[in-house]
Amino acid sequence: MFVSDLKNDFFNLLPGKRVIVICNVDIDAIVSSKILQTLFRNENIIFSVAPILGIKGLKRTFDENKEDCNIFLFINCGGCIDLVDLLQPDDNIVFFICDSHRPLDLCNAYSDSQVRILGDYRSEEDMPQFEQIFRDSDSENDSADDEIEDEENTENSNHRPTTHIEKFERRLRKNREKRDWEKARDRVLFNYSQYSYYARSTSIVIYELAWKMSKDSLDLLWWAIIGITEQLLLGKIESSVYTLETQRIQSHVSRLSNKINENSHTAIRITYENDLYLALYRHWSVKESIKNSIYSACRMKLWTLNGKKKLNELLVEMGLPLAQARQQFNSMDLLMKKDFYQMIEKTAEKYNMPGIIYGSFTLQYGYKNRYSAADYVYSMMALIEQIDHERTAESCFIDALESLSRNKKNMLESGIDKAKVLLDSIFKQVKTSLETQQIHSAGPFLYVIFQDENIQFSSPYALTMLAKFMLNGFVAVSRSRRSRDLPLIICIPVDLTREICLMIGIPPIGDDSKNLFGKAFEQAAIKSNAAISQDFFDTNIIQIKQSDCPKFIDALTVLLSS
Amino acid sequence: MSGQRAFNLLKEHQQTTDRLISNFNSEDLRAILEEINIAFQENHQDALKFQETRDKTLFPMIGYRHALLQRNLRCTLAYLYNRLMKLKEIRWHLGPVITPDIKEALTEPEIQWFNNYSKLLTNYMTSFPDAINLMTDIKPPKALFIEVKCLIDHGKLELENGETVLLQRNSIHYLPRTECEHLIRQGILEHISH
Repeated sequence: MFVSDLKNDFFNLLPGKRVIVICNVDIDAIVSSKILQTLFRNENIIFSVAPILGIKGLKRTFDENKEDCNIFLFINCGGCIDLVDLLQPDDNIVFFICDSHRPLDLCNAYSDSQVRILGDYRSEEDMPQFEQIFRDSDSENDSADDEIEDEENTENSNHRPTTHIEKFERRLRKNREKRDWEKARDRVLFNYSQYSYYARSTSIVIYELAWKMSKDSLDLLWWAIIGITEQLLLGKIESSVYTLETQRIQSHVSRLSNKINENSHTAIRITYENDLYLALYRHWSVKESIKNSIYSACRMKLWTLNGKKKLNELLVEMGLPLAQARQQFNSMDLLMKKDFYQMIEKTAEKYNMPGIIYGSFTLQYGYKNRYSAADYVYSMMALIEQIDHERTAESCFIDALESLSRNKKNMLESGIDKAKVLLDSIFKQVKTSLETQQIHSAGPFLYVIFQDENIQFSSPYALTMLAKFMLNGFVAVSRSRRSRDLPLIICIPVDLTREICLMIGIPPIGDDSKNLFGKAFEQAAIKSNAAISQDFFDTNIIQIKQSDCPKFIDALTVLLSS
Repeated sequence: MSGQRAFNLLKEHQQTTDRLISNFNSEDLRAILEEINIAFQENHQDALKFQETRDKTLFPMIGYRHALLQRNLRCTLAYLYNRLMKLKEIRWHLGPVITPDIKEALTEPEIQWFNNYSKLLTNYMTSFPDAINLMTDIKPPKALFIEVKCLIDHGKLELENGETVLLQRNSIHYLPRTECEHLIRQGILEHISH
């Protein structure tokens, strides 16, 4: 069931009740839960937020809490799995789902009232019709009905004589119809669930709820912006979708900004301006930032000797002395700092980087604090990634959540520093892999299999970044034209003692963000009999036993070649 | 002989941040009293001398010593008074029982004072029909609910309205202030400020 009027059919049902918010550990979900917390606080709704990492965690958290609470809200999780089947809830428990993962599970979508999806059903164009999928009431009991009818018929045989042949024909016809229908259903289902992709970011949906309740503020809007920027930077949505969305956000920005005094320079301000696809450049040195950003690095092939020369050339052309380019952006000459954007803009065309500019939002408060939405995203990403033996994903979630508050600036800054380390190691890994030619082609896709454990890439976000960088880099140096259209799979061991690997599949470069690996992994596992665990809510990431890797890849090749 | 000691005494009291109250510095206090005594004796003699000789050159010294004496006196009183105020604060925040490490820092009269004060306060609070506890909410809370994060697995917490909340490590809860205050003190929950 879809709930499109969030205010009346979702939020107004909550006051006086306790809500448990079950939240996936990703940036969009974190900012959404932050916005929701503010709304709940306003209405004095008692809530608990429980971060979880995978389907197992979801089930465990639900089982532990199901006796205490009737309302569960799932943020960026649960939409793609049949919740009623998985969790076996009592009848009085209601699930609200706000999930940007697609495709949605049809049992959730067509649930009567227990599972309610926040969102508009009109935006789900690809969803099959109810009749195409469900026919259980007449189809399952078919045979039973037949028997009864048969009995009736035999009783009434005096009135309406039916021969065995007629009965047989009728049953045959019914069976054929059923078979046809099932075939059609399987086709529809396959078409529907073949690709996994992302819908509108949850944070925007929740922000609009706040807006409709007249509870919106610049803070809430900023968090929503972070949510959508994350989707863009990780390639979860296409840039055209992002552009459309930014126009809507701009109107929110101007509406909210008009309320506060124009003259106060220290107040919080959000501005829309053209930004560069250079990671963290305001908090890093220009040179490092250009080197470690996917776009610029791949366009200039900065891991090669030629690339390094080219980078220096670019700096010369921009008129930026090396000494300036090497030091912190903040400490650069004031004039150069101001003109930096124009300098890049002018030279970008010549260096084959026309797409380096994109529209983004910047947050400014006080005299000194100026962050772009991308800075926040990288920082939070690094904070989420700080998983090791002492820190679980859940405590990282809390850190990232705290870094959103403006008075926890040091948390944000430490995140930015960690992000620099992360980006740097991603670049180094890409360089090594490209130089030693670890990327192989299996025909329908490219793959990389790492043999050594690397703690930095053992979590989904870092691995996604690495995969994107690797694929873009490979396409940039590859001679074959075909490589543009190939997806990439990376497999990296995360726990050598238990022989567990993390495997990720990403779609080919280009603007299409639909990913076919979720379903393909599932099929390949069945075919090859490999032990995999599809525990993540992003279905393109799985865990697999190391020894099963070769046969799994083989099965995948066969599957995707056909 | 310049009042430096008395000043240091006060400074010591004020700068103690690592513990609730500084040790009672009886050594310095005695020295200051001695200083006051000496100053008084000398002034007394000078005053007698003046009555005999009418020598006006004695005046500045007498004036100086008098000021010194008064300053020392003031500092000493301030020291004692501020210690009592600190004790009062301790009573309001920590309750009627003084822990051994605080007790160590006090003198016998101070302990006596603390007990008397404590008794007075309790008597006052019980004098109301349903014995108000004035200790809770010294500052009026801004909201009835607060946001807390759970630091360790604690298990279930039953709220006054009968609902139960499962307190698990690394989860965030929004709960009535009164219910979680003692858990915050125990270090199970942590208040998230905004």
